[in-house]
Amino acid sequence: MSYEKVEVYSPRSLAEALEILSQKKEHIKPVAGGTDVMVMLKDGVVKEKELLNLSYISELSYIKEKESRILIGAATKYREIRRSPIINAYAPILIEAVRQIGSPQIQNLGTIGGNLGTASPAGDSIPPLYVLNARVKLQKIGTSREVQIDKFFLGPRKTVKEPDELITEISVDKMEPGSYYFFEKLGLRSANAISIVSAAGIINLENKTVKYLRLSLGAVAPTVIRATDAEEEAKGKELSEDLIDRIAKLASEATKPISDIRGTAEYRKKATYGIVYEALYRIFKGYGKKIEYGFEKTS
Amino acid sequence: MEVNVSFNLNGKKVSVTAPPAKSLLRVLREDLGITSVKPGCEAGECGACSVLLDGQVVTSCLVMISQVDGKNVITVEGLQKDGELDPLQKSFIDEGATQCGYCTPGFIISAKGLLNENPNPTDEEILEGVSGNICRCGAYPRIFNAIKKVVKKNVI
Repeated sequence: MSYEKVEVYSPRSLAEALEILSQKKEHIKPVAGGTDVMVMLKDGVVKEKELLNLSYISELSYIKEKESRILIGAATKYREIRRSPIINAYAPILIEAVRQIGSPQIQNLGTIGGNLGTASPAGDSIPPLYVLNARVKLQKIGTSREVQIDKFFLGPRKTVKEPDELITEISVDKMEPGSYYFFEKLGLRSANAISIVSAAGIINLENKTVKYLRLSLGAVAPTVIRATDAEEEAKGKELSEDLIDRIAKLASEATKPISDIRGTAEYRKKATYGIVYEALYRIFKGYGKKIEYGFEKTS
Repeated sequence: MEVNVSFNLNGKKVSVTAPPAKSLLRVLREDLGITSVKPGCEAGECGACSVLLDGQVVTSCLVMISQVDGKNVITVEGLQKDGELDPLQKSFIDEGATQCGYCTPGFIISAKGLLNENPNPTDEEILEGVSGNICRCGAYPRIFNAIKKVVKKNVI
C-alpha cells in the first residue's frame, strides 16, 4: 500500500482509539512513533488501508511506580524512558538497551509499545523486558487482559494481540538492589543498527554465589528467548570462569538462529557465547554495572 | 483522501493539504519549498532529513504529516536570526565542515537539538548527538570540530 492510498485516523483519546479499532479491526494498523511503520509504508509492505495514529493520545505516555512494579504507558517514547528517574533508579537495564536502540532521532520518536507491536526478534527493548518479567496490557472496549512477555510473541512480527486490541501498558519488576545487569548488542554501527545478536542479563550474587541469573537473547530465534538452562546451571553456584563458560555454552545451545543478510546462523551461535561470556566475565572481575537505588524518589 | 494540517514552520504558521500518511520530509520539500531537508535513505538511518519537532531532533522521513498538527517544526532555514547565521552555521563554514554538503543541514539540526538540551556536552555526548547522521564524504573530524568550537564558546 503506497502512502497516497492510506487513510489515517488521529483520535485524541484512548476511548476514541479503541472505538475505531473495534470497528476496523484487522483493516487498520496502529502507529505510534512511526519509526517502523513509515519504513514499511515506503517499502510497500503495509497491507492495511488505514492507519491509527496514536501520537496525540497523551494518556498513553507515562512512567509510574506501583509497589514492586513499574508501569509504562505504551506510547512512552524511548527519550522519556531514558530520562525517567524511576527507570534510572529501578530498571537501569532498560536504559542500557534504549541507549543502543537507535540515534537521538529514533529515541525522540520511537515508543516501547511500538517495539512490542512490531514484534521483531531483534527489537532491542525486548530482551530487557524478558529479564524484568514484563507483562503487556492489551485493551479493547470494555475489557483488558495482561499477558506475560514470553507468552506475547508467537514468531517474527506475530503476537497474541487480537485486531481489536491495543497495547496500552507494559509493566516490569523493579530490579533488586545489588543486582548486576547488562545489555550487549552486536550491530554494524553504534546508532541505528539492527541487532545481529543481543543479550540482556540480571545476576544477583550473595558473596560470590549466584542467587539467580536471568538471561535473555535477541535476534537468535523466532522470538526473543530466555536461556532457562543457563539460568538453572548458574543457580546456587559460585561464579567462576568455569561456570561462566558453562553458562555461555548453554546460552549458545538455546539459540535457534537463521542465516540472513546480517550474519549466518553459525556466527550467531558463536557470537551468543562470546557476548554472554564477556558480559559475565566483566561482572566476575568487578567491572560490571550494579544497581544501587542511588536516586532520590521523585514520584 | 487528503488532510489539512496547520503547524508552525520556522516561526510562521503554515497550512498544508496532503495525503495523510505523506512524510513530513516530502511535504516540506514538495509542498512547502523547504529543500534543506534531504531525502537520503528515507528509512531513518542517515539523518539527512533531520528537523526539530517541538525542539527535539527527529528524522522527518519517519513522521507522517498527520502527526504534525499544531506542532513546531524548525529546519536550517529557520536558524538564522535577523539575517545573522546561527553560531553553528558559522562554525561549520569556518571549519570547512562540509564537502558535498548533502548531510550538512541534518548535522547542523542534530547539533542544534543537542545544544538546546545540553549547552555543554562532553566529546562523547557530541558524538552520540550526531550518531544518527551519516557523512559519506567522511568530513566527521571537521564536523566534530565545528560543534566543539561552539560548545567552547558556550562554556566561556
